[in-house]
Amino acid sequence: MEISVHFYSYLKELTGCARTVETLAADTTVGVLHDQLMEKFPKLTAMKKSTLISVGVEYQPRDYVLHDGEEVSLFPPVQGG
Amino acid sequence: MLNTSLVNRHLTITTEPIDEGALLCARTMSVGMGAVVYFLGVVRGNEDGKTISAIEYEAFEKMVTHQFNVLFAEMEKRWPIESVRLVHRIGVVKVNEPSLWVEVIAPHRGEAFAACQWLIDGMKRVVPIWKKPVA
Repeated sequence: MEISVHFYSYLKELTGCARTVETLAADTTVGVLHDQLMEKFPKLTAMKKSTLISVGVEYQPRDYVLHDGEEVSLFPPVQGG
Repeated sequence: MLNTSLVNRHLTITTEPIDEGALLCARTMSVGMGAVVYFLGVVRGNEDGKTISAIEYEAFEKMVTHQFNVLFAEMEKRWPIESVRLVHRIGVVKVNEPSLWVEVIAPHRGEAFAACQWLIDGMKRVVPIWKKPVA
């Protein structure tokens, strides 16, 4: 399955791109995708513990099972206001 | 998230300056309401000990709208709110200019203050907006 991944804030600078598309096996979890992205973009590893992950517009834990066509976003802690 | 609330909710994410006068003119409240609390967040001239000229705000807008609506719904469960209006600027906001305007209307001041504080705390926890200082 293909999953579109978006990066926000300084994660864009760490990856050098705002978006990438990952091809994953069925039943891949958010955590496995995150690990795969850290292999592809090693600079993300330093932010591993503080990175927030959403699927669509909802936050999801690492054990969330992804579905074909879903959009995943990775971003640092939020700072509104 | 569908807004099925009877509460007056207004959320604006904008690159335009916040027009406080227009917002105050647009205020509506019923005769049962006794408290209006509003808060203005203003860009400070220093960030982490360094002088700055502005802050650039970035937002994941679709998720911002959803997460604010989740917060509004929870706030309405906790307090008897009649109205909540929130404006957040994105893009470059100069020092001394407001980046955030929030207004909560409730029957009594305790509820209005508590709800407004809770909403801003919630925003800083879950709403995907980020800031980048501009030298």
